[in-house]
Amino acid sequence: MARPPLDGIRVADFTWVWAGPYCTLQLAHLGADVIRIETKTRPCVTRMLPPWPGMKPGGLNRSGYFNQYSQGKRSITLNFKDPAAHEVARKLIARSDVVINNFAHGVMDRMGFGYDDVRKIKSDVIMISLTGYGDTGPDADYIAYGPAQVPLSGLSALTGYRGWPPMHAGFSYADPNGGVHGAFAILAALYHRGKTGQGQYIDMSQWECAMGLLAEGLLEYTMNGREPERIGNEDPWMAPHGIYRCLDRPEQVMGLTVDQFVAIAAADDAEFKRLAGAIGRLDLAGDPHYATLAARKAHESELDAILAGWTGGRTAVEAAAILQAASVAAAVVADNKFLSEEDPQLKAREYFVYKEHPEVGTLQHCGIPWKMSRTATAVRAAAPCIGQHTDEVLGQVLGYGAEEIAKLRAQGALD
Amino acid sequence: MAQALASLKIVEIGELASAPYAAKLMADMGAEVIKIERPGIGDRARTRGPFPGGAAHREKSGLYRYLNTNKLGVTLDIARPEGFALLERLVADADVLVHNVAPPEMDRVGLNFDRLHQINPRLVMTSITPYGLTGPWRDLRAEEITVWSAGGVCVLNGAGPDHPELPPLKTFGNQAGFQGGVHGAVATMGAILAQVRDGEGQHVDVSCQEAIASQLELTFEYWPYMKVIANRLGKKPIQPLEAMECKDGWIYVCCVEEHQWKAFVDLMGNPEWAGEELFKDRLARGENWEALKIFLEEWVSQQTVIDLYEKAQARRIPFAPVSTMGDLLNSPHLKARGFFVEIAHPVAGTHQYPGAPLKYGATPWAIRRPAPTLGQHNAEIFGGRLGLDAARLAELTRTGVI
Repeated sequence: MARPPLDGIRVADFTWVWAGPYCTLQLAHLGADVIRIETKTRPCVTRMLPPWPGMKPGGLNRSGYFNQYSQGKRSITLNFKDPAAHEVARKLIARSDVVINNFAHGVMDRMGFGYDDVRKIKSDVIMISLTGYGDTGPDADYIAYGPAQVPLSGLSALTGYRGWPPMHAGFSYADPNGGVHGAFAILAALYHRGKTGQGQYIDMSQWECAMGLLAEGLLEYTMNGREPERIGNEDPWMAPHGIYRCLDRPEQVMGLTVDQFVAIAAADDAEFKRLAGAIGRLDLAGDPHYATLAARKAHESELDAILAGWTGGRTAVEAAAILQAASVAAAVVADNKFLSEEDPQLKAREYFVYKEHPEVGTLQHCGIPWKMSRTATAVRAAAPCIGQHTDEVLGQVLGYGAEEIAKLRAQGALD
Repeated sequence: MAQALASLKIVEIGELASAPYAAKLMADMGAEVIKIERPGIGDRARTRGPFPGGAAHREKSGLYRYLNTNKLGVTLDIARPEGFALLERLVADADVLVHNVAPPEMDRVGLNFDRLHQINPRLVMTSITPYGLTGPWRDLRAEEITVWSAGGVCVLNGAGPDHPELPPLKTFGNQAGFQGGVHGAVATMGAILAQVRDGEGQHVDVSCQEAIASQLELTFEYWPYMKVIANRLGKKPIQPLEAMECKDGWIYVCCVEEHQWKAFVDLMGNPEWAGEELFKDRLARGENWEALKIFLEEWVSQQTVIDLYEKAQARRIPFAPVSTMGDLLNSPHLKARGFFVEIAHPVAGTHQYPGAPLKYGATPWAIRRPAPTLGQHNAEIFGGRLGLDAARLAELTRTGVI
């Protein structure tokens, strides 16, 4: 295999929490040398969150959250209360192609690592700030936390059961979405730098990245002046279309019964006919109540009840398999156990990563969502322990001698 | 200022969101994108709204028009040999072919990397499919709701432990498609950088399911690390993190850190109940949410959204409004940043659209042309670019190849 696409590209990674680390994870997946700049005086919050192996908290290196999103990166620790740490960071920036952070607006400037400072150190640097609100505008100084960004984006107003209040997406969706858009922007800027030698600064607002995802809702408003109503799992152009209850998992987990569901969609009359046949109700396809999309939309709740009657007596795996055998769009509504142990597709594609980690051992993590035919595509190493690569990076990348490193450590600059 | 991707040439065979969004991201940064649609039918997004006035019309779909800005549009039936031959001629001169043709259809029409690679060794071919191009689920029928579910996100969303009878809830719109698209764009750009370096293209196989499973926050690892299932019925360990109703709309009440809660209590005028042992820290507030919720709902219901939002942010508490579409279009912040852009379309009219997802200092995001009408650029591309004469174009049109 040829070298990975970003082999030789170095990223000075000042990010933390989720949006920034998700961005630099994409760059690490493509082969960049991503060096996370951390500090023991204020560790990344994800190092202190669950899950922990054996359910036992302890230390900064055992969180599954951190270990998922920091795979393939290196970690150094710098304590910026010491001016010597600034000098180390400046040297790292001088040897980096990309500088990235997701601090609140203005923090990098106050640290002396704003774009104007950084480009004096490295004239063709590509720098990106991933913020909640962007660098400009009256609310630029507002603070943004992942869970609140979904409602801010407008997705909550559009998501929910019929007649119910606005709902969430179930995860801090604007974080990874902002991160992956940021990775795209960095790659476009690297392409431009390759053609012209010119670096640049990129201002990313998580809020704005998320609004493209709800274009249909925004356009309903700009075209027709209407706020779309929330329609649960329905779809305006397909019926049936929903998530249907199946048998519970046969085994209890942590003493609890776990329910399971199957998602089903019929895109057109032909698919509905296949669906009707698969559930032993071919009569429905000829019934004027259900034969056309308009008829199915008009009788959707009756149709849903018929389907739920059929799925209710089956496991989700069985229901999905019967429908897929008839070429009907259906899938198990996967939970983490299903993805981890039962999904045959992810296993066959060797999606999961198993890399030895000094404190948690060899545990399963999610991998790279693409495969490349010519260049290597692999997670290189498990997530780093905090400061694991401080000596290695200062020595091999920045040219510090062992004595200098020892002195920096003794004075607390590497905390 | 030059656009970052101005020298890239891309051919897209895309329907709905995934491949079209990947190509849009690159087109809006300057790449030339030739979008191929089925003769007489077009991209399925054309059948999906919103439509101005509500009546379906293939040139007026808001979803299609958003996803296909800056593209040249041609019609071509690649299942016909004459059609595939024209695709080969387009691809011979391109850097990228990005598509989301379903794998069984790829097999049927012979759309595969080896064939196109022989014509153009520099070609990056990106296939964005629901489950990827290998494995037992390769050929499964899929729609947005089934892929979002198979990726493991859908199970996390719902009405919570108070309403176990309600099913997992799909997020609005085409999120599986968008995530397949943006992850596909990242992988494609990586392959382009390798093409520039090595002078060779390659095949990029992007799975939408995997793109979704890659962003499950801390929930996936609850299984390998702790053997705990994460789903919609789990109680939130810390509170408050909830949408609550004000006099004039909804606000998201969000206190993650202790100092944020203290500032919120102060904002509420230090009510006596806030000093209860039940609410002493964020874990206690999570544990006793049922009691806390009653007090908070009572207080929040007497507030107005923007006033509470501004007061909270002034105290560094990360509240946010539950924005309606009207709130977004009228936001002074988004207006000051110029987020929404007006795009005029010859058939559908002029409307405001979501604009640049990021602001580049040196290489602008720009709308150079609206989404194409069906086959709008057939003469320009097949005639002007590939040199087919008028008689041949007429023949291909008559026989339904273009």
